[in-house]
Amino acid sequence: MFILPGIALQAIGIDSNTIFLIFWVGFFFVTFFYQARLQSYMALNDISRGLNKLKVMKDKSRKEAIDYLVNVGKAPSDPTQRVDQFLDYVTIMPVDIDPAGLVGKIDHVVTTNNDRVRAEVGTLLGQGSPVTISISENLLEVATSLNMIHKIVRHFYLLGKKTNSYITLLQLQMLMPMIIQEADALLNAVDSFKLGQPVGDGIGPVIVSRYMAGKEKRAVAKDTVMAVAEYKGRKLYVLKADGPMAYVGQPGVAIKKIIEEMGVKPSAIVMIDAALKLEGEKTGEIAEGVGAAIGGIGVEKFQIEEAATKAKVPLYAILVKQSLLEAITVMRKEIAEAGDKAFQVLNRVIEEKTKEGDDVVVAGIGNTLGVAQ
Amino acid sequence: MMSSVPGADKKSKLLVYTIEECPACGQKTKRAFTVGDYVTKDGAKCAKCSNQTRVSLVYAEGAKSS
Repeated sequence: MFILPGIALQAIGIDSNTIFLIFWVGFFFVTFFYQARLQSYMALNDISRGLNKLKVMKDKSRKEAIDYLVNVGKAPSDPTQRVDQFLDYVTIMPVDIDPAGLVGKIDHVVTTNNDRVRAEVGTLLGQGSPVTISISENLLEVATSLNMIHKIVRHFYLLGKKTNSYITLLQLQMLMPMIIQEADALLNAVDSFKLGQPVGDGIGPVIVSRYMAGKEKRAVAKDTVMAVAEYKGRKLYVLKADGPMAYVGQPGVAIKKIIEEMGVKPSAIVMIDAALKLEGEKTGEIAEGVGAAIGGIGVEKFQIEEAATKAKVPLYAILVKQSLLEAITVMRKEIAEAGDKAFQVLNRVIEEKTKEGDDVVVAGIGNTLGVAQ
Repeated sequence: MMSSVPGADKKSKLLVYTIEECPACGQKTKRAFTVGDYVTKDGAKCAKCSNQTRVSLVYAEGAKSS
């Protein structure tokens, strides 16, 4: 590339050392003044590739949801248009400038949204089995999440490109690996949901279902069931979401009802849930603690904390560690095997923290897909 | 410059199993998962004591390379 100009320069009496000097000075100026532009260009390329990957994931999850509704759900008419409308449906969170009573408002909005999703799927499928309807709900939620992730990333990509904002692009480029990882986990969840396989998040319900097997079950809240069992002289009020549907139930409402409406005076509330592990922690590690072991938007956690505080009942937590991918895809052997250890820990906590004749509330928190009771 | 977008993942193939456990003698049987299996579902008769088994676990593990 530089040979011809080099020969030309030598012809007019400029030697090779001067040529190298000119080259290095030129290189210095380009990198000094255009470095940000070059990096922006590389970031744009990088984000563009990630964005394409997200688009493929988004389209795949949408197609999987439509295929499931048609082939398994036996939708009477083509659900494509309805699904596309569903993907762009928004949930507007309540205003938080006056935080008093905010949890109740969030609960109201979220419950309205959940009811709408179920009604929408009911309209699409007509009469379907509860398991199929719940799986369809979950598949549509995955497709909606991936659609939203793609839209947000595309927004910042185009904004950065339009305004030539180096910092916007660089931040997005740095976040891309984590965004792709989360999107990939969501897409992987589709396979487990379609087949009705228990997911890692269902370890809490798997553990408490051991107490519930063969006992009479009753509904205590929406999609939530309870059974009364006995363990070493203690009366256990065991609750989980209604399986094997892909439900998470309303454990907050259920615990509140058990304490406030049924008049039970528990000596302890023990909650078992899956918890996201930190990098370096092993899958299936068990952690014990105090407090309400429940994730989500915070409404259920608030209700449980409020009911427990009012009744002065200690809250104990047993957590089974796993990654996000493991929590939303088919349960791994390490997690299933940790269930035995967690069950022993649960029994020990009940023995240590309560005495014979006490009432204890035991809640298995998580998605109950493929886990009945 | 290295790309920050992860490439195609090298995912290990997972095989899903259903564990049927006999509530009477504790005998556990491992078989391949079939659609419709769920935890607490009634399984086959126990090979050891002929009691009704129950699905106690459904889990995935990596395929062993042969």
